[in-house]
Amino acid sequence: MASENETVEPPGDEFKTLDEGNEPGGRRDGFLVASDSFEDFARLEEAKSSIKDRHPSGTINKIVREGSCEDPPDKQDEIESVSSGIASMATEEQNDSAFSDNGNVAEQVAPTLSASIHEEEELDEVHKPEWKGQKKHVFILSEAGKPIYSRYGAEDKLVTIMGVMQALVSFVQDSKDSMRCIISGKHKFVFLTRDHLLLVAVSCTSSSTPQLLLQLNYVYNQVLSVLTYSHINKIFKQRHNYDLRRLLTGAEKFFDSLLNLMDHEPGFLLSAVRCLPLPSAVRDVVAQSIVQHAKVKDLVFAILIANNQLITLVRMKKYFLHPADLHLIFNLVSASESFKTAESWTPICLPKFDSGGYLHAHVSYLDDNCAACLLLLTVDRDMFFTLSECKSKIVERLHRYNCIEAIREALTKYTYSISQVGIPDLRHFMYKSRSTAQFTSPELESPYHTASEQERIFGLYQYLHHRMHSTSRPLKILFHVGSYETLLGWVTSGFELYAVFGPLVTKPTAINSINKLLKWIKKEEDRLFILNSPTF
Amino acid sequence: MGASRVDMKVVLLGKEYGGKTSLVERYLHDRFAGDTPYQNVRNYNATIGAAFGAKKVDIGDKVLTLGVWDTAGSERYEAMSRIYYRGAKAAIVCYDLTDRTSFERARFWVNELMKNEEGCKIYLCGTKKDLVISDKRTREVDYHMTTDYAEEIHAEVHETSSKTGENIFELFTKIAKDFASNPENIKKERDKDKETLDLYEDNKKKFGCCG
Repeated sequence: MASENETVEPPGDEFKTLDEGNEPGGRRDGFLVASDSFEDFARLEEAKSSIKDRHPSGTINKIVREGSCEDPPDKQDEIESVSSGIASMATEEQNDSAFSDNGNVAEQVAPTLSASIHEEEELDEVHKPEWKGQKKHVFILSEAGKPIYSRYGAEDKLVTIMGVMQALVSFVQDSKDSMRCIISGKHKFVFLTRDHLLLVAVSCTSSSTPQLLLQLNYVYNQVLSVLTYSHINKIFKQRHNYDLRRLLTGAEKFFDSLLNLMDHEPGFLLSAVRCLPLPSAVRDVVAQSIVQHAKVKDLVFAILIANNQLITLVRMKKYFLHPADLHLIFNLVSASESFKTAESWTPICLPKFDSGGYLHAHVSYLDDNCAACLLLLTVDRDMFFTLSECKSKIVERLHRYNCIEAIREALTKYTYSISQVGIPDLRHFMYKSRSTAQFTSPELESPYHTASEQERIFGLYQYLHHRMHSTSRPLKILFHVGSYETLLGWVTSGFELYAVFGPLVTKPTAINSINKLLKWIKKEEDRLFILNSPTF
Repeated sequence: MGASRVDMKVVLLGKEYGGKTSLVERYLHDRFAGDTPYQNVRNYNATIGAAFGAKKVDIGDKVLTLGVWDTAGSERYEAMSRIYYRGAKAAIVCYDLTDRTSFERARFWVNELMKNEEGCKIYLCGTKKDLVISDKRTREVDYHMTTDYAEEIHAEVHETSSKTGENIFELFTKIAKDFASNPENIKKERDKDKETLDLYEDNKKKFGCCG
């Protein structure tokens, strides 16, 4: 790729750094925990964090205990202290270039893997070309090496290969070390060990190793969301070789759908949430309706979502939601057909909120013809009928003010087109407001309208994101000229911007364009972002 | 649906893929999803938590509103199952006529109910009858064995097919009639002097006191 070149810019005058809180979509009083999970996660990995950091627990009990009494310790403070500190990426033993095909690590391990595969002729699953040809495999196994989940193929037919994975990891663990990554040709084997569980990704996509680790961590959180950390811990302490699949029957769809979402949804990569663009007046009425009719003791969060976008979120004072938890909620709703037909009452664990217990969720769609789904999350398991009534009242008020119609309309049309931004040569962008953990980006249009082009552009974004957040050399600004397009990344304390231009754009034009873009986002911020944070 | 104006709580329990959701779908909406979900390797239709639906049933002299709880069969919900069957006046314990192990799970649920929920009448319900009619060899749960067991626990047996609708409406009507003919339930209705019964509230209070 001789035509590619890159410049790393020192932030000059043309990059006027905006005052904090003043950047488009920025606010100090968000409702989402605004720590950058990507770096947060990396730091936790680095520090071999204590279980407490990784598994917050007790929040639910606190809410239950509080009942009417006031002044609990501020949850936000707690979280901020966790997220401060140096954000550095997981220690990879070597940098990428050292992991070439001739690298020692790859040489040693790759034959072992393939040899063991050949021994098991009867397990033909791994020989099928369609299985081998998958771009991203994900496996979950127990510490004892028992298969729990495989993204492709039946996990019980993969006992042998999972055994090899377990053996590799425990072999390295024996020498008081941990296995992070093996690179062999185009394939990355990435390992994430958690209490009692081992998660493995085998990928030949453009995801970087830290990004794959982040994805595995999401998968791990999905396990917690279904079972809670305390339950898993208890079970494996009693029986080391427990077959966890027994408890996960019917939950496979959550893993499948989560992995599919992560392959194209930038929200996971950015640790941010996309909001449904909506006139702020409508959004305010929606929030007001919820506040008015769901003022119920022990109700922690009321969340209205549609098509993996947030419409509004009302929270109990002093409690915040982490974007990673919200992503699990998106996944729960998009993976469950059964919510569409009936009002449901389901336990859900939000691992960043409290990994030790369940919240109880009243889940229902606003109306048969509207894709907006309302979730009312409480700590009281007997509140179904109370919440069911709240929901009817909320829906009634939303009808009265034509909000359901407005939401439906917002959902049927394109969110917005890049042409509305009016900047020639700017093809696409992703903008994340760091203080609110929200992001916005236009529809993918021509030339990115085909599945393969969309995959390619997402790969470019992953590359750009990886370069900007690299541990060894984090960047503030990157100008990357590729064969088919030019990329520009800009990270400040307030926002992250990733932009895609046509291939011939010059640096001054690109810089000029993104300054225009920031002005446009600022002008539209009321519609694109949720800027207030209503509480009960 | 006026969820709080429910006269009688009915809960469905049983092993996963045992056909509970299909039964409820047939009863509440008179429909059947052609794709038999239990034959999928990866079950994409498994119920999450529990789903609630209500339906009015006319039993001649009056109309009762049944609140039907369709619970998830997965073992992980076992510890929480009391949330769903607490205060139920009738439990439909489902088992798959083509799966012997599902009847073992049914026994488990019966024991659970008898231990924790005295006021709950039990109805054993064999599902997927259409399969055993079309091929007798697929039957794994013997009818007489189930009736013997039912006698022992003072329950009754219904064999149903959600695909054809066989025995479904009959089952729910029977449940409603049994409820209405129980003098205890009628007495409560008179005592409360309300237009409709609110048994859920009633039971909630009762359980609130004894923990």
